[in-house]
Amino acid sequence: MKVRVNEDMCEGHGKCQAAAPGVFRLRDDDVSEVIVDEVPAADVEKVERAIRLCPRQAIAWVKPA
Amino acid sequence: MPGALPLTLDQIDLFDPTPFEMGEAHALFTYLRNNKPVFWNEGPENLVGTWNLTKFEDVVFVSRQPETFISSTGITQMKLRMPEPEGLFGDTSGNGKMLITMDPPRHVRLRRLVNKGFTPRAVAAMEAHIREITTEILDGIADRRSCDFVLEVSSQLPLAVICGMMGLEKKDWPLMFELTNKVLGAGDPEYQTDVPEEQRGSREAANMTGAMGFMQMFSFFGQQLQKRRVDPENDLISLLCGSEVDGEALTDEEILWFCFLLILAGNETTRNGISAGLITLCQNPAERERLQKDLSLMPSAVEEILRYTSPVTHMAREATRDVEIRGQLIRAGERVTMWYPSVNRDEDIFPDSQRFDITRTPNDHLAFGIGEHFCLGAGFARLELRVMFEELFRRFPDIDMDGPAERLRSTFIGGIKHLPVRYTPKG
Repeated sequence: MKVRVNEDMCEGHGKCQAAAPGVFRLRDDDVSEVIVDEVPAADVEKVERAIRLCPRQAIAWVKPA
Repeated sequence: MPGALPLTLDQIDLFDPTPFEMGEAHALFTYLRNNKPVFWNEGPENLVGTWNLTKFEDVVFVSRQPETFISSTGITQMKLRMPEPEGLFGDTSGNGKMLITMDPPRHVRLRRLVNKGFTPRAVAAMEAHIREITTEILDGIADRRSCDFVLEVSSQLPLAVICGMMGLEKKDWPLMFELTNKVLGAGDPEYQTDVPEEQRGSREAANMTGAMGFMQMFSFFGQQLQKRRVDPENDLISLLCGSEVDGEALTDEEILWFCFLLILAGNETTRNGISAGLITLCQNPAERERLQKDLSLMPSAVEEILRYTSPVTHMAREATRDVEIRGQLIRAGERVTMWYPSVNRDEDIFPDSQRFDITRTPNDHLAFGIGEHFCLGAGFARLELRVMFEELFRRFPDIDMDGPAERLRSTFIGGIKHLPVRYTPKG
């Protein structure tokens, strides 16, 4: 599974990095980026939590094509 | 609690500001969450009715779909059935013209002009400055043993911060305070000073007060804008003057509405968060003692203050298509109102939800909303609350209420107008 951050929406709250540090990284320009290609199975629940907690609701799973 | 709990749904009217002014709205919300979580309230007089959402998940559901539940037809429950003819000042609703009343995609584009100044990192850089302002405010009350906490303390910090960011001179700050009260407190007789005394309290008095506040605000910012067009400064208004969206510079009207929103949002809500926070701590002495013994609990205490007091009472949206919420059909064109004090005490989300617990974990409240319209100033609000209570308890550890608080007559803003406090002068 892949996850995506909408950079237009992200305002650098860092909740995703706190919830799933192995998947998200808050850059110096206050935008969060996804640092893995595929989310490891062990992190799926953490990513779900990040999606739920993001104040801007800027995170979503990428739907398979 | 004075006032009997309603026995039937038809006795509940969320358009009536009285329970809010009396601090009794939680009894209504608890009843609704447990009996009618999606509750239709017919509009009184000339107002459109609305669906009232009191459960956490339903408010998240609506907030996550800004294209289905739009803001551009008004964000308060007060929507007129028959629009009144535009008065002398044109359309004073601001619908579609400010971030808060704008829909995607333009909302994000406009918000991106300023949002880098509001990120957690940008806010953290302001901490020393905010502590300096706080110290100065507390110096001002240190030689007495009592004061009106709202007028002299809680209103002054957010006012100074937002006015500073907008580059307004100190001599103009009291005017900004006064006009904010007129616009957001238009329905409260205390602020209806432009209306003859015997007419205060009426719907007309509220309309008149709001319009006067609006007109004076626009004329003030009009002058500020002209000055910066000629002579730009390093402030938010100048930044907006030089900004473009989709290759087009913002118009004067757009910048004025932006200023209007920034000044209102920047100084009213945090003021009420600080005031209501102090009231809550005074009314929960065990939690207060725990906090004062260990000020490192402050960030978590601030989150609990935000959850427990929810300074913004509601936001409204309008459905653009038929949608079901909790099995209830909401038809296209119907309005929904999201009640933040209610969702932040939703028993399904917050165990023992009526209890004030400064170490509540998790505490993912919706005091700032969520999604597209998440409060831009949330970081400043959190920082101002934290610094204020740190400094307040350091200097006046015995500060206490010295009489009842006076609440704003409003269903929109959980306002505290006056809060008498006493303390040992020192510091």
